[in-house]
Amino acid sequence: MTIDMNHEADNDFTRRDFVKGAAAFTASTITNVRRSIAGASKSQAGNAANLPQVPKRPLGRTGAEVSALGVGGYHLGSTKDQDEATELVSRALDAGVNFFDNAWDYHDGLSEERLGIALRGRRDQAFVMTKVCTHGRGKDVAMQMLEQSLRRLQTDHLDLWQIHEVIYYNDPDLIFAPGGAAEALEAAKQQGKVRFVGFTGHKDPEIHLRMLRQGFPFDTVQMPLNAFDASFRSFETHVVPEAQKRGVAVLGMKSLGGSGEMVTGGAITAQEGLRYAMSLPVATTISGMESLAVLGQNLEVARGFQAMSASDMQALRDRVKFYAADGRFELFKTTKKYDGSVGREQHNFPTAQKLPL
Amino acid sequence: MPGSIPIRQFGKHEGVRVSALGMGGHHLGSAKDEATAIAMVHEAVDGGVTFFDNCWEYHLGKSENWLGKGLKGRRDRVFLMTKVCTHGRDGELATRMLEESLNRLQTDHLDLWQAHGMGFENDPALFIRPGGAAEAMLKAQRDGKARFLGFSGHKDPAIHLAMLATGFPFDSVQMPLNAFDASFRSFQAQVLPELNKRGIAALGMKPLSGHGEPIQSGAVSADEALRYAMSLPVTVTITGMDKPDILRQNLRIAQNFQPMTPAEMKSLEDRVKKVAADGHFELYKTSIKFDNPEARLAHGFPVDMQSDETKETVLASQNDGHPYPQIS
Repeated sequence: MTIDMNHEADNDFTRRDFVKGAAAFTASTITNVRRSIAGASKSQAGNAANLPQVPKRPLGRTGAEVSALGVGGYHLGSTKDQDEATELVSRALDAGVNFFDNAWDYHDGLSEERLGIALRGRRDQAFVMTKVCTHGRGKDVAMQMLEQSLRRLQTDHLDLWQIHEVIYYNDPDLIFAPGGAAEALEAAKQQGKVRFVGFTGHKDPEIHLRMLRQGFPFDTVQMPLNAFDASFRSFETHVVPEAQKRGVAVLGMKSLGGSGEMVTGGAITAQEGLRYAMSLPVATTISGMESLAVLGQNLEVARGFQAMSASDMQALRDRVKFYAADGRFELFKTTKKYDGSVGREQHNFPTAQKLPL
Repeated sequence: MPGSIPIRQFGKHEGVRVSALGMGGHHLGSAKDEATAIAMVHEAVDGGVTFFDNCWEYHLGKSENWLGKGLKGRRDRVFLMTKVCTHGRDGELATRMLEESLNRLQTDHLDLWQAHGMGFENDPALFIRPGGAAEAMLKAQRDGKARFLGFSGHKDPAIHLAMLATGFPFDSVQMPLNAFDASFRSFQAQVLPELNKRGIAALGMKPLSGHGEPIQSGAVSADEALRYAMSLPVTVTITGMDKPDILRQNLRIAQNFQPMTPAEMKSLEDRVKKVAADGHFELYKTSIKFDNPEARLAHGFPVDMQSDETKETVLASQNDGHPYPQIS
C-alpha cells in the first residue's frame, strides 16, 4: 500500500496535521511509495496507451459524461509545485479522468490557479467544477466570486458551479432567501457562465434533504460516501435515493474519511475504500491526490473499473460497522475539523485554531 | 434583604428536595486555588445551594477532591452528585471509578450517580449491554453507595431519547437547557416533556451556553439567561462558577428568583432565534469542544489541547511534585 492521501478535506489545519503524520511513516511504506512512483513513470513512458481508461458515466440528466474518478481540488493545491500539479492533471487526463473539482477558497485561490495553468490547451477535454463560498451571503458576493474563479481557472465558463459546504442548519434558509446564493446559480446559468449547478456539504443528511426539497433545479449534489457512512448518519441511505428520484447527479467524496483516517486507523485499505465509493450509484467519486504516487494508486483502482458486488459491499459495511457507529472516522460529520474558515467566519464560529474539533 | 433559593422536589421522589440552583463541578476545579474553591463551596451552602454536581474526570479528579474538602462537616446538608466516565466501557471500570469518586468526595455514598456525557450514537447500546455500566450502577444502588441514578449529555436529543428507550430506571436526566436550545436541536422540545411525563428529575445545565459566550457577545444578559433556564419545568439548573463574584451573582439571581412568564420566555426565545439557528452559541452540540478526553479516547476520537484535562494530563507528566499543576 502506498501512503494514502486519497482524501478531500477542506482546511489548512487538517492538511498540516496529515502531512506531519505522514512524516512518521515507516521505511517500508516509503519503499512502497518509491516503487509505486517508479511504476507510475514506467507505465507513463511505456504502455500507458495499452491500459484501460477510467470509465465515463452520465452526469444525471445533464447529457454530460464525467469520469468515475474525479481529481479533488484542495489537494491539487497541496502538490509540491505547479510542475507536479500540471503533470498530475496531464496524467489524469491521459487516463480518461475529465472531472476536476475545485473551490473558490481552497488555498486562498492557489488550487484554482494551479488547475487553470495545468489545463492550458486542454480545457476542452476537462469537465471543470468549482464552488462558491457565500456561506449565507447573497447573490452579489457569489457573482464576484464566480468572476474570480473564472479568471483563476483561465476559462470563460464552468461546467459545474456548486454552493460550497452547506453544513450549517440555517444554510438552506439563507441560500434560498430573496437575493440569496440560489439566485446567483440561476443568473450564472442564464449568462452562459456555468453549464450546470449544484451544492456540496459533509455534515448532516438532513441539511442536504432540506436543500433538495426546495425544488430548485440542481443538476448535482456532492456528499461524503464511503463504507462507514452507510451505517452512520447516512448520506447513502437518506440522500442518494432522494437525489436519484429527482434526477440529480450524485458526486461522492471523502471515500477514506477526509484525510485517510479510515486507512491510517487500520479499518480498511485505500483500495477497498475507493472501490466501495465508486461502486455506489454516483456519477463520480472525487478523491484528493496531492502526489503522482496517490494518483497512480487511484488509477490502479479506477482504470477499467468494475463495481463491487452487492454482497461484497454488504460484507465491507458489516466489517466496519463497529468503527462506523460513533463516527470516529467521519470527523467531518462529528467534529468541526473539516469546516472551512470562510464558513466559520460567516457563521460566527471560532477559528480552527481556537476550535480544532 | 435577599430571599432564599427555591427548593424543588427531585423527580417523583417525595421528601427528596434540592435547590433550584446547582453548583457545577467542572468550574469548581477551575477556581484559582484550593482555598478559593473550598470557600466558594461554603458560601454556596450558606447561600442555600444544596445541589452539587461533579464528575470523575473533571480536572483529573481535582474537582471532586476540592468539593470533598469543601463539604467536610457539611455533607449532610447537601445533595451530592457525581458522574461516571465509562463512555461505553465495562461495568467493572465504572465500579472502580465509583470508589475513587467516593474517596475523593470523602463520603460513603452519593445522592446521585450519573453516567456521564452520552454524546455518541452508540453510547446507549454500550451502556445497556451485558457487562456495561448499567449493571454497575444498579449494583451501586443495591449496595447503598448511590441513592439515585441518572445520565447526562449535551449533544443530541435523539441520544437522550435512545437512553430513555433502554428501559433503565433513571431517576434523573441532565441536559443543556437555555433560550438558544429552544429553537436548535432542542432538548427542551424533545426531551423535557418526556421526563416530566415520566416523573424523571430534569437537571438543566449550560444556562449560559457553557462558557458564557452569549453573555460576552451581548446576545443575552446573565440575569435573563439564568432566569430563563430556572423558569423551565426542571428540578435544578446547574451552572458553573469559577470565581467568587460569579457565585455571588448567581446566588443573588437565585435568591430573588421570580419565574419568567410564558410571554417573557417566548419573547427571549424569539429574540435569540436568529443567532441560535446555526448553533454557534451551542458548541457542545455542534463541535466536540465539550467532550472530555476520556470520552474521546474511549470512542477513538482525537483529543486536542483546548481541553483542560488534556493540558493537565500533559502537565502532570512533568511530575513537579504538585498534585494539580496549574493550567493557564
